[in-house]
Amino acid sequence: MSEPAARRTVIIDETVRVHHLLDREEVLGPLMLAPLLIYLVALVGLPLLFVFIYSFSDATTGSDTFNFVGLETFQKTIADPVFQVALRNTVVFTVIAQAVVIVLATILGFVLSANFRGKWFVRFLILLPWTTPVALSALAWLWMLDSLFSPFNWILGQVHLIDQGTPVAWLGQDSLAVASVVALQAWRTLPLAAVILMAGLTSIPPELNEQAEVDGAGFWRRFFDITMPLLAPIMMVAILFGIVATFTDMAAVYILTRGGPGDATQVLGSWSFYTGIQGGSLAQGAAIGIFMFPVLLGVCILMLRRASRTDAF
Amino acid sequence: MPGVDKVGADLLARKVTRRDFVKTGSLLALGATSFPTILAACSTGGSPSKSGPKTLKILQWSHFVPDYDKWFDPWVKAPPSQYEQSTVDMSDVVKQVEKKYGKQLDFARLTNFNPHTNRYFGFTYSFAPDPGDYRQSFFQQVGMANGPTSWEEMLTATAQIKSKTKGAVRGGIGFSPEPDSNMAARALIWSFGGSEQDADSNVTINSDAVVGAVDYMARLFKQAETAEVFSWNAASNNQGLVAGSLSFILNSISAYRTAQASKPDVAKDIFFSKPLSGASGVKPLASEHVIQTYIIPKFSKSQDVAKEFLLYLADHASDFVYQSKLYEFPVNPNTNAQDKLYGQGGWLDSDPYKSDPASKLQVLKDATTWSVNVGYPGPASPAIGEIFDKNLLPSMMAAAARGQKSPKQAVADTETQIKAIFASWRQKGLVGGTK
Amino acid sequence: MAEVEVRDIRKSFGGGSAAVDGISLTCGNGEYLVLLGPSGCGKTTLLRMIAGLEHPTGGDILIGGRSVRGLPPRARKIAMVFQSYALYPHKKVEQNISFPLEAQGMSREERIEKVKWASGLLGIGHLLQRKPRQLSGGERQRVALARALVREPQVFLLDEPLSNLDAKLRASARLELKQFQQRVGISTIYVTHDQVEAMGLGDRIAVLNQGRLQQVGTPEEIYHRPANTFVATFVGSPPMNLVSRDGKLVGFRPENIELEKTAGSRDDAAVFHSRVLRIENLGADRYVYLRVQDDKGDTNIIAKLPIDHPLHVAADDDADVIVRKRHLRMFDRDSGEETAA
Repeated sequence: MSEPAARRTVIIDETVRVHHLLDREEVLGPLMLAPLLIYLVALVGLPLLFVFIYSFSDATTGSDTFNFVGLETFQKTIADPVFQVALRNTVVFTVIAQAVVIVLATILGFVLSANFRGKWFVRFLILLPWTTPVALSALAWLWMLDSLFSPFNWILGQVHLIDQGTPVAWLGQDSLAVASVVALQAWRTLPLAAVILMAGLTSIPPELNEQAEVDGAGFWRRFFDITMPLLAPIMMVAILFGIVATFTDMAAVYILTRGGPGDATQVLGSWSFYTGIQGGSLAQGAAIGIFMFPVLLGVCILMLRRASRTDAF
Repeated sequence: MPGVDKVGADLLARKVTRRDFVKTGSLLALGATSFPTILAACSTGGSPSKSGPKTLKILQWSHFVPDYDKWFDPWVKAPPSQYEQSTVDMSDVVKQVEKKYGKQLDFARLTNFNPHTNRYFGFTYSFAPDPGDYRQSFFQQVGMANGPTSWEEMLTATAQIKSKTKGAVRGGIGFSPEPDSNMAARALIWSFGGSEQDADSNVTINSDAVVGAVDYMARLFKQAETAEVFSWNAASNNQGLVAGSLSFILNSISAYRTAQASKPDVAKDIFFSKPLSGASGVKPLASEHVIQTYIIPKFSKSQDVAKEFLLYLADHASDFVYQSKLYEFPVNPNTNAQDKLYGQGGWLDSDPYKSDPASKLQVLKDATTWSVNVGYPGPASPAIGEIFDKNLLPSMMAAAARGQKSPKQAVADTETQIKAIFASWRQKGLVGGTK
Repeated sequence: MAEVEVRDIRKSFGGGSAAVDGISLTCGNGEYLVLLGPSGCGKTTLLRMIAGLEHPTGGDILIGGRSVRGLPPRARKIAMVFQSYALYPHKKVEQNISFPLEAQGMSREERIEKVKWASGLLGIGHLLQRKPRQLSGGERQRVALARALVREPQVFLLDEPLSNLDAKLRASARLELKQFQQRVGISTIYVTHDQVEAMGLGDRIAVLNQGRLQQVGTPEEIYHRPANTFVATFVGSPPMNLVSRDGKLVGFRPENIELEKTAGSRDDAAVFHSRVLRIENLGADRYVYLRVQDDKGDTNIIAKLPIDHPLHVAADDDADVIVRKRHLRMFDRDSGEETAA
C-alpha cells in the first residue's frame, strides 16, 4: 500500500485510536525495536563503555570515585606474569577447542542430516548441552571430574585401570586440567556448530554430490572438493560463534579449575574477575578484559562482512 | 549473588522482646558466617524525620546448608577492607561494645580497623577457629593417636599412612585457588616464622622462612599427597576427610558437625589438633577460619538503627555461640559467652552437642591465643584482600610443588606480584607501609 | 557406446507401493530413448538406478552386456545431466568440465586438451573462466553437457534437462540436444514428462505409469497406435477421445474428426451424434468441444479442425462426428488394453 493511501484511511476514519497508531510502521517499528535497543545500550553498551573508562583509571570496587591515570593500568597489567599466562591460555584454549569443534561438528552435521530411525532423539541429545546454561553444565562437569566423586574414576576402578581409592586428579594435573577445560568448551560450543553445519549441509543440493559421484569422485574427493568448499562459508559462521563463546568465557574455568593447578588454566575472563571484582582492583580487571576486545572486534567485522555477502553460492 | 540471603527484619519496628531477639538472633547466628554482612537500614514510608516503623535490611551469607555453602565461601572469607571508602565509621559501636565487654582481640581489631586511615570500617563480633582435623584411626596406625603437633610430624604421619594404604588415604593440605588453601598456606608461613607483611604493612614475603615453608609444602605434596590438591574447592577437604580418603586437614569444626548428624561413626573418629609448629622458637599460629564483620554502607538511610542492632548482637554473644554449635567464638573477652564457653566444665569441656568424647573440643579453649587475621602481623587491607582473592600464596606453593619453579624462584616471583598490588593500593591511600 | 538393458527391475522405498514395479527395457547402441510419464511414474527412479544412484530391490541392469549391479556410479562409464545441471558453484566452467577427468587421474595436459575439445564442440570456449552463476540457462546446459561428454561415456543419462529453460529457449535447446547426440552417437536415455519433447527427440519412447512400462515404440507408434488408454490419453494434445460403444472403448485423435450437420450412415467411418458446446479459435486450428451420446450416456470430446476447413456448425447445434475407420482404435473397457476391432 502506498503512503498517501494509508494516511487517507486515517483521515476518513477521523478518530485516531491506538490501534491506528500501531498500524503505522513508523510508530510500530521503533516501538518493537525499543526493548532490544534498551537492552543493548543498558546491558552491553554502557558496561563496555565503563570498561574502557575504568581501564584508564585507578578505580576500585570499594569507591565510586576514581582518577584517570592514562596507560599506567595497562603497563601494570602487561607486566603481570599471570596475565601473560592467561592471555596465552585464552588464545590456545580457543584455538584447540574450536579446531576440535570443527572436526566433530562436521561429523555430527552429517549424522544430524542423515536419515535413520530415532533421528529426533539423537538430535535432541546432541542439542541438549547447548540448551544448558554454561554455569550449570560446568557444575555437572565439576562433579564428573571431582577428585573424590568422579564417576570416571569409579569406572576406571571397576575395570581395574586404576586402583580403587587412588583417583586420577582430572583437574589437578596440568595437562588433564587443560584438557578438561578445553573439552568443556568444545563440548558446550559443539551443538550450535553442529546445527549450523547441519543447516549448511542440507543447503547443499544433493545432486551436486550425486553428480560428483557419477563424475567418478570417491568419498574423500567429494568431501574435500565439493562438500567442504560449499560448507566453508557457513563453517566460518560456526567458528566465529565458537570463538566468541570460548574467548570471552570465564564460567568454565572459574567453576571447573578456578584457574588452577597454579595458574595453568587461568584465562582472561577468570583473571579479570579475580583481579577486578574479587580483588577489588576494578581498573586492572577492566584492563585485562580490554585485551579480549581486538579479537572480538575482528570476529565482529568478519561476521558482518559475511552477513552482507549474499552471493555465497 | 547465589547463596546470599536478603533478610528483611523489622527488628526495631516493634519493641524487641527478649524472645523476639533470641528467635531472630538464632537465625542470624546460624546464618551469620557471612563476611562481610551488610546492614542497610532504611525507613519505609513517611519522611525520614518522623520516627515511623523502620525496616532493617540485612544482606548476608546463608549457612543453613553448610556443605553446600562451602562452595561459596570464597565470596565471604575475604576481608571487606576494599569497601572501606564506602562504609560508615563504626568507631562508636566498637568503643561502646569494648566498654562493656573488653577490648577486641588483636586480630579482630586488625580486621575491622585500618590503622593507616585510622578508621573502623566495620564491626567484627565473632570468629571461627581453624584447627587441624584428623582421623584418629589412621594416625593410630602410625603411632600418633593424639595427632601431630608439628608440620614435620604431620608430613611423616600422612606420608606413612599414604604408603600403608597404597595411596587410598592421603594428606589433605590444599594448594588450590580456594580459601582453605589460602589459610593453610598462611598458617604454615607464620609457623615457619614468615609473613606476607609486617605490622606496618611493608611487604615481607621474600624471606628464608617463607622459602622454607614453600619447600616444606613441595615435600608434603610429593610424599603424602596427589595432584588432587591442586583441583580442590572449599568443600573438597571436608568431603575427603569424611569419606576417609584424607587423614589430616585444616578446617573449622563445621565438617565435623555435619558428620555428627550424617555419619556418626566417622564423626567419632575425627579429632582436632592445635596449630602445628614449624621453626623452633616460633609460636604456631592458625588463621581465623571465618571472621564476622558487619559493615554499614554510606547509602544506608537509618544507620543508627543498624548500629543499635549490632549492640543487641554483642549483648547476646552466648546465643550466637550456642546456636552456631560452637562454630563461632566472640572477639571480646568479657561477653556473656565467656564463662559458658571457656569456663571450667563449660561448653568446650563438655560439648552440649554430644561429642564423643565430650571433651573433644577442649583443643579450642585457647583458640584466641593462636588465631590471627589474614595479613598478620599487619592489618587487613585491600592489598591483603586482593592477594587472598587472587590466590597468590596457594599458587606460589603449587608452582613449587608442581616443579615449575624452585621454592626460591616461586617466592621471588610472588613478591613481585604482591609488591605491585601494595603499590596500587598505597597510591589510593588505603594501605600503609613503604616497602 | 553400449547397449543398456534393464531386466525386470524393481524399486520400492520402505513401505507403500513400488516406485518401479518390474520394468524390462533395452536402449540400443547409439539409440535415443526417451522415458516419458507423469510425475511419480518412476521414470527418474529408473534413470537413477541405471546411474547407480539408487539400488534396485530386484532385477538386473546391463550396460554393454555386463551386469552393473553393485557397481558404484563411477564404474559404470555413464554420464548424467541433472535437471538443475548440478554445476559445481565454486568452480569455474573449466574446472567443472575437467572435474570428471581429474577424478580419473588424467594428466593436466590431457585434461586441457579434452576440455578444449568438449567446449569447442558445444561452443562455450569463451565461457571457461566464468563461474556458473554468471551463465545463462542455456549456457549452463551446454556446460553440463560438456562435462558429461568429456569423459567419453558409454551412455548419456539426461534427467529433464530442458525443464529449467524458459519456453522460448526450449525449442532451440531441443534442436541442439538432438544434433549433439546425433554427432557424438552415444546411447542416450532421456527422462521427461513433456510429450512434445519426447516426440521430438526420441528414436523410441518408453511410456511409464505407476512404476510400470505402458508401451515402447517410435513416436509414430506411440501416437497412432497407443497400446492402452493411458498412453492414448497421455500422449497428444488434446488427448485421444474415448467413446464407449458396443462394449468397447473407441478411441480417435481430435484431428481425425470430420463434422457434418447430418452424416447419414457410412461404411468407411463411425458416426457419433453430438451437440456442439463451444468453439475455440486458436489461430491455425480451432477446437470444437462436443458432447457425444454413447453407451454410458454423455461423453465430452474435442475435435481439432484446421482453420481453413469450412465449418458448418455453430455452438448449440447438433452435429455428427465422423471418424474414418482407419483412425479408430479399440480398447477393452475393463483393462484399457488395445483390442482388435
